[in-house]
Amino acid sequence: MQTRIHFMEELARLNHDILTMGIKVEENLRKALEAFKTQDIELARDAKAGDEVVNALQLKIQDQAAILIATQQPVARDLRELVSIFKVTDNLERAGDHATHLAKAAIKLAGEQPTRQISRIETMVETCCAMIRGAVDAWINHDVEEARKIAAMDKEVDLEHKALVRDVLEFIKEHPELADRASRVLNNSGYLERVGDHMTNICEAVVYMVEGSHVELKD
Amino acid sequence: MNPIRSFADLIPDAVPAAESRQGAERSIAIRGLAAYYGKHKAIEGIDLDIGPGVITAIIGPSGCGKSTLIRCINRMHEVIAGAYATGSVTLDGTDIYTPGSDPVQIRRRIGMVFQKPNPFPTRTVYENVIAGLRLNLPRKSKADYDEVVERSLRSVALWDEVKDKLHDAGTALSGGQQQRLCIARAIAIKPEVLLLDEPCSALDPTATLKIEDLLFSLKIDYTIVIVTHNMQQAARASDRTAFLMADENHVGHLVEAGPTREIFLKPKDSRTEDYISGRLG
Repeated sequence: MQTRIHFMEELARLNHDILTMGIKVEENLRKALEAFKTQDIELARDAKAGDEVVNALQLKIQDQAAILIATQQPVARDLRELVSIFKVTDNLERAGDHATHLAKAAIKLAGEQPTRQISRIETMVETCCAMIRGAVDAWINHDVEEARKIAAMDKEVDLEHKALVRDVLEFIKEHPELADRASRVLNNSGYLERVGDHMTNICEAVVYMVEGSHVELKD
Repeated sequence: MNPIRSFADLIPDAVPAAESRQGAERSIAIRGLAAYYGKHKAIEGIDLDIGPGVITAIIGPSGCGKSTLIRCINRMHEVIAGAYATGSVTLDGTDIYTPGSDPVQIRRRIGMVFQKPNPFPTRTVYENVIAGLRLNLPRKSKADYDEVVERSLRSVALWDEVKDKLHDAGTALSGGQQQRLCIARAIAIKPEVLLLDEPCSALDPTATLKIEDLLFSLKIDYTIVIVTHNMQQAARASDRTAFLMADENHVGHLVEAGPTREIFLKPKDSRTEDYISGRLG
């Protein structure tokens, strides 16, 4: 006999909001990249505005999780899921902030010639988006195996970031007059590297929710 | 990808047995216990260790044999006509079911408190506390009884509330006070073990929390076993939890026992998880 139907529905609603939050973060990141590439200031502003939706969702989800903890007295996996929701939403919100940083950089660099590192930024954004989607899916599906696979992708982001740093340093040597622009690209690479870390944190939360053990998935 | 720790590793035992007054004494070991009501088997195959200095909660759905199990721990089960138990229950290494052992003496060592407060209705508060002493032990002096009454009532945090009503009827007290009076009556004869069968089910939340606080203060001196339907109470008020469940033949089995924090955060058995999460209809 199925019991606690109301509680299960509320949990499903929370996870639906987490899914929406993940989709919105990915969307903002893609918009910011596109704005960065095309120097489209309006699109960059759109990405920035999208972050307010992400922030509002974070508060809504966390408030609702607190209400469920207070009123439903969850235990075992239910409790682990609800307390981990705070970690998941905090990390999604931070990833959203980094999308905003990229959008702001797009606005600042508008009208200037893009540097050659844009393709590396593009690669990193693609990997980050795959990680956002995968981490949120692993969370929704309680899928530890998927979480471990997604966390392993963080290495790709890190390697790309390191390659970009080397490339930017070379670029500055070649074009010292473009050092300011190149350093902004470097900053954005750093933000994307952090997005990978935040998604790894979510993957660790998936393992904790399902297995009840704390793991370090970052190499 | 290295597991770094489990939640339980981070938290020391709530009350290490070594802190209790009598160390390794007052330990109960239940092995292969089965209990019957005539031909009906209520529980079987129960293996459970109950340590001193901790509160052990027994939880499980209605009809799983929780009350039967604790009634076997002080041989109250066999009081019911046709009821009997097999297997062993040892207290400090001595099997209480050894032929020739005296159930009355065993019940002196293993006291019991029931669901509904049951002070003797025609007795005063004072007489209720010493009722067990008068029944079981050689008569003492008035001064000795006075000392036992004050000590017992202080132990259950009732002295200040009733010291001016010692000669009023026990039944004149509130429900929560009556239950604490019953616990005082149980500990007046200095048992080693205190069994409580849903002691708070008839009490309001405030009285319930008082009883739970009381159990925490008593666990240093008594091995405490509490049967409860209230999962939050088991989570709040016990150090170890045992989960019982009946099979398709309505025979109760022990599914899992362990530290309460593990049972409520990371149970090993999916049936335990389903029950404590409220998913077992």
